[in-house]
Amino acid sequence: MATRLSIMSFAHLHADFYAGAIAALPDVELAGVWDDNPQRGKDAAAKYGTEFFSTPEELFAPENEIQGTIVTSENVKHKRDVLAACEAGVHILCEKPISTNVVDARVMIAEAERAGVQLMIAFPCRYTAAFGQLLRAVRNGELGEIIAIKGTNRGQNPGGWFDDPSLAGGGSVIDHTVHVVDLMRVLLDQEVIKVYAEIDTAFNPALPCDDAGILTMNFEGGCVATLDASWSRPGNYPIWGDVTMELIGTKGNASVDLFVEHVDTWRSGDGSYLWEPYGDDANAALIAEFAECVATGAPVPITGYDGLKAMEVALGAYRAAETSEPNDLPLP
Amino acid sequence: MLSVAICGAGGLGTRHAQNFRDIPEAQVTLVYDVVEEAAAALAGKVGARVASRESDLFGDEVDVVVVTTPTPQHAYFTIKAAQAGKHVLCEKPMCRTLEQGEEMLEAVRAAGVTFMVGHVVRWFRQYARARDLIQAGEIGEVGVARTSRINTMPSGRGGWFRDYALSGGVTLDMTIHDFDWLLWTFGPAERVYSVGAQRLMPELDYALTTIRFESGAIAHVEGSWADTGAFRTCFDIAGTGGLLRHDSTRMSTLTLQRRAAEEGRVGVQVPSSPAFRSPYMMEDEHFVQCVLTGEEPAISGDEALDAVELALAAMQSNEAAGEVVELS
Repeated sequence: MATRLSIMSFAHLHADFYAGAIAALPDVELAGVWDDNPQRGKDAAAKYGTEFFSTPEELFAPENEIQGTIVTSENVKHKRDVLAACEAGVHILCEKPISTNVVDARVMIAEAERAGVQLMIAFPCRYTAAFGQLLRAVRNGELGEIIAIKGTNRGQNPGGWFDDPSLAGGGSVIDHTVHVVDLMRVLLDQEVIKVYAEIDTAFNPALPCDDAGILTMNFEGGCVATLDASWSRPGNYPIWGDVTMELIGTKGNASVDLFVEHVDTWRSGDGSYLWEPYGDDANAALIAEFAECVATGAPVPITGYDGLKAMEVALGAYRAAETSEPNDLPLP
Repeated sequence: MLSVAICGAGGLGTRHAQNFRDIPEAQVTLVYDVVEEAAAALAGKVGARVASRESDLFGDEVDVVVVTTPTPQHAYFTIKAAQAGKHVLCEKPMCRTLEQGEEMLEAVRAAGVTFMVGHVVRWFRQYARARDLIQAGEIGEVGVARTSRINTMPSGRGGWFRDYALSGGVTLDMTIHDFDWLLWTFGPAERVYSVGAQRLMPELDYALTTIRFESGAIAHVEGSWADTGAFRTCFDIAGTGGLLRHDSTRMSTLTLQRRAAEEGRVGVQVPSSPAFRSPYMMEDEHFVQCVLTGEEPAISGDEALDAVELALAAMQSNEAAGEVVELS
């Protein structure tokens, strides 16, 4: 029998990627959709050939046999939706960031544990071939001790609720810190103990949230790192943004540019220049792994704790920027 | 005809000597170096005499002293030359300490001589062009400016670049180019925070520095003496109205490939972007014009000292591990 997954909310644009990935996987089925915006949910259900349910309770009714759910609501609603899934005993893949504050994240982790369901966080960058190979090289000691990492996760402002701190919990820094921090944590197998940041509303002064952030981090083992978590790519940039890291090690250096693979494309019709990507689909690999864990009961490789630790860095960065002083982690 | 004395016959001394030899209004007359053979070799190349004593640099026949010694000696030779009424072109960084810089400025002001520090990046056309575009408002208000300057660990005579006490490492010696360009482009810095690998000198040096400018712009500056490849630079400057980007590795107008001459030998590939006038030549020509006309050099002593102050602040932040250094 196919593994039956559902999607809770299409507020996040990644929901479409995940629905597409489910459709492409042979043994996985999108068995239902719920959305607190009924029209959006109905449209998505129609698009992906599945049923729309008007409440989480109806979605998780026993006859639907939902085994796992993807939570792609606005950041502040992750907790609500994760707890509904816990209540129904359904495994969860939660969009990043796990939440917008430490208390909610801890509740989500504890509730999942209590309910005996798995809580996985969507960090698809881990599922790129380049990162996998880098991780092997680092673990094999090919670079020696990693002493510094320069990271970027720059993008365009996604707009919509991403600009609304009451829904997103912040702006570009909460949106773009967690992916690369997660990769750094995995590479180093260490936690961030101190974060400093310069954060501003720089590119669109009318925004109610930040859109520029440069973070500086100290890891417990002595490695230092910076991360550009800005929505600094202009509207006509040829690709949505980037995820890059430069690693400096005692024996060698490495750099990754996870989404650089593209064909330069000029269209004379609309005068556009775009990067048409052709790299592996990391979202598909993420969904496949989640479905596999749901089906087999294998432990999810990216836990709620991972989500919490990455989010803490973003929250610490906001504190640091407010005080212009580095902020110690973990947060109290 | 300006009579130019070169003080320090290393890599940059050689470059300046060759430039001044080729500038019609100037002539290299003397080369001084503590290692006399080095002075003799360079003097031979540019048709100059060897200054057998340091004091020859300050004799009546000399109009200009070019200071291309290791950094800690910049102050000594600049002050001596100024006191002798010589115009001074001093390599970057201007000095190893702020106190040295203050004394240098005092000396050149008191003597009324022309003084310039060789922040040659201002004549690198991609940097000049980017600044012009920013000043013209082409990308609106700048939010985040990122620069990278990446090289292998240099050595220098006796390995002095590898001695942090002498060179100041990558931040003072090389990243200062970006600091100067950023200050020139965005105005005064407010605070700086830096992390890096100074502890690993002399094997490598690497620093990541964040600067907040009074204008509100944020800069992220990568300085690396940890690379294994060819020297490279890049910048990525994002504003409210657009983005500027330059990557030196993608801007070679000419690549020469040499096929291996013997079996077992690897051929070499040398990318380059030849220009009719090198940035170093434009810098030296500008200095000559300033000396001849008495006009103020494009880089004031105060600006050069500001760049040192920013670099030293970054180094202080780095050494203190977690200190945000406010700039005056």
